[in-house]
Formats: sequence, structure tokens, C-alpha cells
Amino acid sequence: MPGVTSNSSDSTLSIVPHSSDSETPRVYPLRHHGLTPPLARVSISWARGNTLRVSLIQSEAVSGQQTGGEVVEVKLTNMKGGEITAAQWRRIAYGSVTPFALLQSRKNSMDSSHYSKDWWEHVMEYSREINSLLANSESSGNLVIEDPKALLKKEEEPTSLKAAWELMEIFYADKQSETYIPERLLDWLSDYDCLFSGTQPTAHAKLVDFQKELVTLQIIENDPKYWETMSSALAVGWLDIVVKLLHLHGSYQFDQLGNRETENGLVEAVAVLISQMPRMRPDIPLGKLGECYHTKPEFMKAWEKWRSQITKLDCSSFWLQCDHHQTREGLKNMLQIMLGNTSILSNVTYHWIELYISHFLYVRPFTVGLENMCNLAQKCMHLKPISNHHKLMGLIIGILEENIEVVLAECSRSFDPWMITHAIELLTAGSTQAEILIHEEQSKLGGISIEELQRLVYAQVLSSHAMTWNIAPIYLTSCMKQGMGLLENLLYGQPVQNHQVLLKSIEICRLNDLGIVSSNMMKIYGVHKWKHGQKGSAVFWLQQAQDEVRLNRIAKQLFDFVGKSVSDESFKQWEGLIELLGTESSTAGGLKFLNIYRDFKRSLLQVDGRTTTDVARKAVESLVSLMKNPSTPQRFWLPLLYDSLKLLNWRERPLLNVAQTHLLLNKLQELSIAKLRPDFINADLPLEALNSVRLALATNLGRAILEE
Amino acid sequence: MAFTSPNPIQIHRLPQYTYIDALRWLPQLSAFTRRILLATYDSDTSTPSIQILTFTPSQNPKSTPSLTHQSSLSTPSRITSLKIAPSPLNPSKPLIAASTFSGSLLFYSADLIDGSLNLEFSVPEKGLHLGAVSGIDVSDNGSECVSVENGRVDLVSIGEKWSVRRVFDSNGLVSYSTVKWASPVEFVTGGLGFGMHWWDQRKPGGPVVQFKGNWSRGTTSGIVHSVDIHRSRKHTCLAGGSSGTVFAWDIRWQQQPVIVSGAWAGGGPATSLSESEVWEVQYDSYKHSSNSGNVSSSKILPAMICSEDGILAVVEQDEEPVELLAEPCAINSFDIDKENPSVCQITVLLFFVLNFITFVPCEVLVFHFTN
Repeated sequence: MPGVTSNSSDSTLSIVPHSSDSETPRVYPLRHHGLTPPLARVSISWARGNTLRVSLIQSEAVSGQQTGGEVVEVKLTNMKGGEITAAQWRRIAYGSVTPFALLQSRKNSMDSSHYSKDWWEHVMEYSREINSLLANSESSGNLVIEDPKALLKKEEEPTSLKAAWELMEIFYADKQSETYIPERLLDWLSDYDCLFSGTQPTAHAKLVDFQKELVTLQIIENDPKYWETMSSALAVGWLDIVVKLLHLHGSYQFDQLGNRETENGLVEAVAVLISQMPRMRPDIPLGKLGECYHTKPEFMKAWEKWRSQITKLDCSSFWLQCDHHQTREGLKNMLQIMLGNTSILSNVTYHWIELYISHFLYVRPFTVGLENMCNLAQKCMHLKPISNHHKLMGLIIGILEENIEVVLAECSRSFDPWMITHAIELLTAGSTQAEILIHEEQSKLGGISIEELQRLVYAQVLSSHAMTWNIAPIYLTSCMKQGMGLLENLLYGQPVQNHQVLLKSIEICRLNDLGIVSSNMMKIYGVHKWKHGQKGSAVFWLQQAQDEVRLNRIAKQLFDFVGKSVSDESFKQWEGLIELLGTESSTAGGLKFLNIYRDFKRSLLQVDGRTTTDVARKAVESLVSLMKNPSTPQRFWLPLLYDSLKLLNWRERPLLNVAQTHLLLNKLQELSIAKLRPDFINADLPLEALNSVRLALATNLGRAILEE
Repeated sequence: MAFTSPNPIQIHRLPQYTYIDALRWLPQLSAFTRRILLATYDSDTSTPSIQILTFTPSQNPKSTPSLTHQSSLSTPSRITSLKIAPSPLNPSKPLIAASTFSGSLLFYSADLIDGSLNLEFSVPEKGLHLGAVSGIDVSDNGSECVSVENGRVDLVSIGEKWSVRRVFDSNGLVSYSTVKWASPVEFVTGGLGFGMHWWDQRKPGGPVVQFKGNWSRGTTSGIVHSVDIHRSRKHTCLAGGSSGTVFAWDIRWQQQPVIVSGAWAGGGPATSLSESEVWEVQYDSYKHSSNSGNVSSSKILPAMICSEDGILAVVEQDEEPVELLAEPCAINSFDIDKENPSVCQITVLLFFVLNFITFVPCEVLVFHFTN
């Protein structure tokens, strides 16, 4: 997105996205502190996710101030606004992880060559769980007292995302109600007709309008809208609403019942016929009308009977006795709808899906098979051409035409990558042809399948946000070809200087056998800690990563630190670190020296004039092992010997034998040669230290020779 | 017993649209109002805050309990640790101590009557701590607060005269991740390498007793993330850390820890449900020890844990752990409502599910254990 920085008169900085299709540009003010214009340079780069990083560099011209600058991050929000907020998206993203992972593990545990017969049951369970996530929130609960004039229940705002999901569930996943697809479509439209209201007239919009007028109307049956609304609602099968409206007819009022008896009889007869309409579906939900039939023969029989009752009523002589013109015409019109008069159906419906539903209900109730359904849909589209293309309409057409590519394209064009990634499970369950297309590895996609591509795209979206990156691995690991590579990339891209992110990343590595990645991250973290002076933490993490090279390198620097501070009092500070190093030499690297050094220091502290020779001998052994150990840094040799002068000059008897004394003397000799080298570090000791050590060693040697 | 009945747990999920960094039950003032304290972070506006919410339990088993917002105060940085202590002078105004990522310490008083929050005292960034404060704890009598950072241990005296004091500075040689008071003068810290240090204020200059877990297989070790000490057994520190490890360290038996749960506990009956970081451990005051007839004082009391791999469980020495919940994402904290009267058949627990910084629509989960 090209950004235009504007510097308006009130000297506040802001970013205005520049795009041709948006009418009103959105302004993002930059929240900076204490920068005064003019600015020398402004640079913009992408930060993580939808954030832009704007670097503002102040010009030198500002008097009395040093050249400075500031980096601000600008969060770009969704331009479209959208029907689902970012927080809700995240809720959906988190909620769909478990059903998705469960379905994948079931798929993996099954015979890979063919799905078992009841596979669709698993898919259906998955679909239901996802569908429940898409509902905004729990409904507020039913009111105890129902308003007789309330036609539409106030429910949560439906979303086209949920509508699209249900549509795919109807056609692909739900094998149990395959024979009831028309009825399920009817239910679907009654839930989601309002979504089309934004772009075109609908029966739902008509109903909403009439609901508003209802309160002010005195004689309802005189209003042509009353009859129009009822006809539309009847055509799309909202029988309960129609019957409710019919019962609002004036002839039901007590004061009029006497002189409008015939009229009232006719209204009631129509209402009864409507409520007795035969429906072929597994059940009728509470509050909905119609009589339910499960098998086709029963349904056909009932349907014929119902039609004959309507025809009988239509030819009845009572119509002549009905004085009220609007009632007579309105009711007659409704009978024609129920008899399947196509021209009237076309008049009372507003777009092709409504017309399509009305044809299912009243003209061709026995339609089965996608091909027949598709033909009927095309006929309806011909009668009611699409004036305003709605994304759901494109999806329905794709599904009815059995064109998987169109369905995929519509899903990815109209919805978030979340949709297509999760809907693919439904599509592949729907047909073998779809499964082949989606699972086929395609060279134009770099050798991966459509399924993998979509998952990778979705994982990218997830990993761009600090709050969702940790669920991306679930999707990446389900990608056979490129998933693991991208997972490594994702992990390396995490800001490991954050402790919690590091532990989370290590956990992900553990679950996916990425030992090398996790040890690399520990190394990075360890070095980061070292640079920030947290020595203990650095040593711990490098030990965890078994990084001997770095441990040895930091050991050198650590010894510098020891050399300065390791007087007897402050050695307490080191105790914790030495404890941490543990006793296993393999993990400590060069730091092992510290451990022996501590032991030596401890035993040396115990030695004083009153201690026995045994204690002193122990200390000497520590000293010798320290001097023998190749990891003991050279610069510690002299201080070590100087510290142990009292051992060398032990009164009772020499503590070192001849060989040991020779060793120490050799070390001393080495030290004097090393002194000539330029990188020699002088120990912080009194000048006579070397001489007194040499003297003590020589004396000891003499005593030792005599003793032996 | 609470967990063995066929359908014992009711879980209510109350989605929150901000990130939850920490949470605690506030003390109960009346039988009807329960309040909880949340430290939240709104990632859309990048604002951290501390909030009081009123919790209304569900009236019947089918309905959902509700949370209503009472008050909130914005904080200078995100909260790392949150503790509550009763105020000795005013029982209706408990003290809240919070530590932040930026290194400041914040002390609030919560008014349980009207649900308001009030900042009492704060230690600014770099005033005491240079980096993120990793752990904080307030002593039982509410007179002192100990906080730990990388290598630094500090004390804040609470009361009429607030004062701060450094107990120890290891110059970065040792790191502490958590701290817990054992008595008014003793506390214990936990850190790297399953290390624990016992401190006694009467013996200044450094830790009095040190312990390092040496049971590690091969070369890897772990971190102690949480410590709990039972009021009646101050010598036993119960610690939870990496690799699903829960162990008890008795300072009287310094080098013999009892491993309650974890990947290291091979052989014995103490198997582990989690192999990941145990973020919090608390003695479970509602679970009675299974063989309550002969509870010896040496036996470790049952405790509840939550972990990075989404497990909430009750663990007990020499017993199979009881899994209460397995979530797809991490459970970072929980709090047991210690004041719920036993006559009420419902125990309420609460925690937040989420991986530390990675979830916005965090959910507050509320459990009902029915007897």
C-alpha cells in the first residue's frame, strides 16, 4: 500500500492510505512524542502483521537539540470494516483448532486408500462444531410474554460467513438429509434472506417494513401491503408468519365476528390449509407449521390430498358471499400460490433464490438430484435475472453446477483464508471428484496440492499476528511438503528475547521433533542474556543447548570477572552459579574449572593453625588437581599458589611430595616464560608474590626429598 | 469426593476480548458478591490495565455465570505477577501488589464495597528493578512484599511508611523466577536448574540453604516457575517447573526432594499428565487426601497445577494425577477460591486459558465442582 505522509497545518503527522477504489481515505495519526518539525527523513517499512513501522528522523536544523528520531508503529485496521471484528476472528481461529486437529488425526488413523462409510459422520461433527463457533454469541433468551404483533423474532445478526458454511454443510457434509435438501434450503433462506436485503428487495425486507407499520394500522385488511407481505412470506414458506398475520385479520375481532362470518370462515380455512401443508423433512422445529412426512409415497399421498382440498376451497361458492374485496382477492391469490401458479409466484418473490424456494414448495415438490435442482435454478435465474451479484449467490450457483473450482474461487474471493482452509474438509467429503482435484499435487502450485496451498496461506495469516502465531504450527504440520520448512522459518522469526515466547517455541519444537531448531533458539537466547549481563541465565541456556563452543568462550570472560571479585566475601555470589553448573563435567565445558575452584576455596577456608594435617592434605589435593587440569586458566596459577602459601609452608611436615612439587615448579617456570608474551595478563598481586611462592616451593621440595 | 462422581465438573467459558496476563479472586466480603481481579492487555490499543470484575454465579446448572466490569486503572506496563494480601487495618480494602515487565512495582487498595481501585504506592521503573520483575509475593500479614528479578531480591515494607530495601544482588550470576513467603521472616525463591534458595532475613548476605534438582536425565534441566507453601507446613516448598515437574523440597531434608509428578519420576506410580512447563502450582484445599485416615505429616498434600500444554490437573504424592481439563492452548494461571464456604456445594475455580502473549479472545473459565 503506498502511503502518503501528510503534514497538515497543525503539524501533526499522519498516514493516509492511497488507493483508487476507496472513496474516503482513512487517516492514521502518528503518535509521536516530542518531535518537532522539520523532519529530515521519513522511512516506512512493514513490521509484523498489519503494522507499518515509520521511522522519523529529525533534521539537524532544529536549534538547541541533538539530531534525533523516533520509530512509531502504525496499526492498519481492516478498511472494509467487515461483519466480523478482529477479536471475533481470533475467537473463531482458536475455536476451530480443536475440531480441525481432531478431524486430521481421525483421517490419519483411517485407511488412507478409501474413507469408510461413516466418514461423513465425523465431518458432520466437525462442521457442527465450527458452525457453533460462527454464531456471534448466545442468544439473549426467549421472552416470556410474546408480543402477538411481533412477526420476526429478534435474534442475533446473521453473518454471510455462517450462511456460506451452512450452505456447504447442506450440500457436502450432511448425507443424512440428502433427500431433504429443498426443505433445508428453505430453512437456510429463512435464516439468511436478510443478508440479501442490503443489495436488493427481499421478502424479509418487506416483512421488516410491514412490521414497522403494523402498530399504526387500524383496519389491517384494507392495506394492500398486508396482502403483499403475506403472499411473499407464503411463497418462500414462512408459514408460521403467514398464519400469524392472517389471525390479525379484522374479521376475528369480537364486534365484527357476527356480520363477517363467511369472510372469517374463509380466512380461517386458508389458515388451516397453510398450517396443514405436507412437508417432507425429518422433523418440524417448534413454532414452525406443516405436517411432516419422512417417506416419499406418504408425502405424495398427503400432497395430492392437500392440493385437492385447496382446489375445492378455490371453487367454493362461499367466495361469492364474501363482501370484502381485498380479502377475497388476497386469499384467492394465496390459494393460487399454493396451487403453484408460476406467474404469481414470480410476482410475489423478489430474487431468484426466493423464486427457487417457492418452486420447490408449490410447483415441483418432488425434485431430487443436483442436476434437476440446477436446471430449476437456471430457470429461476432466467425469470428473475441477477441484478446485483451477491457473494452467496455465486456460491450457490457453483455448488448447484457441481463446479468445485467455482466454489473454491468464490470461497477464497469472498471470505477470509480461514473459510477455505476449513471448508475444504467439507468439499472433499462431498465427492470423489472434488477430493481428487483438491488433493492432486499440481506443478503450477510448485508441486503442492490446493489443500496444502490454502493451509499454508492461512498459516501465514495466523503467524503474522502476535496473538495467533502459536496456532499456526497446527496447520503447518498438516502440510506434507512445505509445512515443516515454514514451521522452522516461523520459529526462527519469533522474538526469542521474550522468555515466554522462547518457552512456547521450545514446546512447539518438542511436539514436532525439531530438536535442532530449539537448541538454536536456546543458543540465541543464551547469547542475548549474556550480552545483557545475566550470566547465570546465559550459562543455563547454553548448557541446555549443549553448546560447548560458546560456553568455553564465555568462560574466558567469566574468569576475568572471577579474577577481580573472588575475594572470600563476595564468593558467596558465585555459589548460585556454581550450583547451577552442576557436577557433570560434560555440560559445563570450560566452566568446570569454577566447580573445582570453589571446592578448593572451601577447603582452604577450613585450613587454619588448628586444623589437622588431613584437612590440609585435602586442600593440597584440590590444588594439585586444579593445577593439573588443562581448563584452569593460566592467569589463575599464581594467585592459586599465592593463596595456598600456608599449605606450602605447613609446619608439621611437607604436604606435597617431590613429583607434586616438581609439577608446581614447572607451572611456575611456564608462567615466567609466558610473561614475555604480549597477551599475558598480570595478576593483581603484590610484587613479591612470585618470589615468595618460589621460595616456599623450593623449601617444600627440600623437605620432601629429605622425607622420602 | 469431588472428582469421582460421574459428571462432576461444569465448565463455563466466559470469553474476554483482551489478553489476560494474570488473575486472582478477591476476598469475599458478603455471600452474594464475588469479585475477581484481572490484569489485562488490549493488543488493539496496546494498553495494559488492571480491572475488578463482579462474578455472578449461575442460578441453575444450565445457565452461564456472568462477569460484569466494575472498575479499571491503566498500568504503565504489562503485569507479570499479581498477589493479594488482606489489609490488617481495613478488611474491606485488601492490598494488591503487581509487578510489571518494565520493572515497576504497583500497590493498590481494592474497595470491596464499591469495587473501586486506588493506587497506594509505586516503585518506578529503574527505581529498584532494571528489567522485568519475574515474581512477587506479599507476606501473610500484609506487612512486606518481596520481589525478584534477574539476580536481584528486594523488599518493600508496606504500611504507613513505605520503604524499599535490596536484600541481595548477584550481579546477574543467578536468576530467580518466582518467590514465596514461608513465614514473616523467611521466604523461598525458585529459578534455573530446578534451583531453590531459602532466605532468612535474620541472616542477611545471601541464601541460607540452596538446593538444585540433580535428577535430570542426560543433560537437560529445567526452571522452577511457581512455588507454594502450605501455612501449616512452612518447611515444605512445593515447586512446579519444566517438563511437567512438581516436586516438594523440605529444607530439613535438604537434598532429598520428593518428586510428585514429572518426566523424571520414572518407575514409581507418580506419572505425569504434562510434559511441558508447569506454570502454576497451588495446594488444593478442596481435594482431600485419598487415604485421609492416616495422613502422615511427611506426605505431600494434593495440589493443583496448570501447564503450557493445556492441562489442569490435581497431583498427589504416590497417586495417579487427576486430569480436570485438557485445552488446546496453554493455561497460564488459575486461582482457587479459598473462601468459599464448605456448606455451599459448589466450589468455584477460575483461571485463564491462554498462552501468555498469544491470545486475545482469552477466556475466563469457571469451574463448578459439585459434590
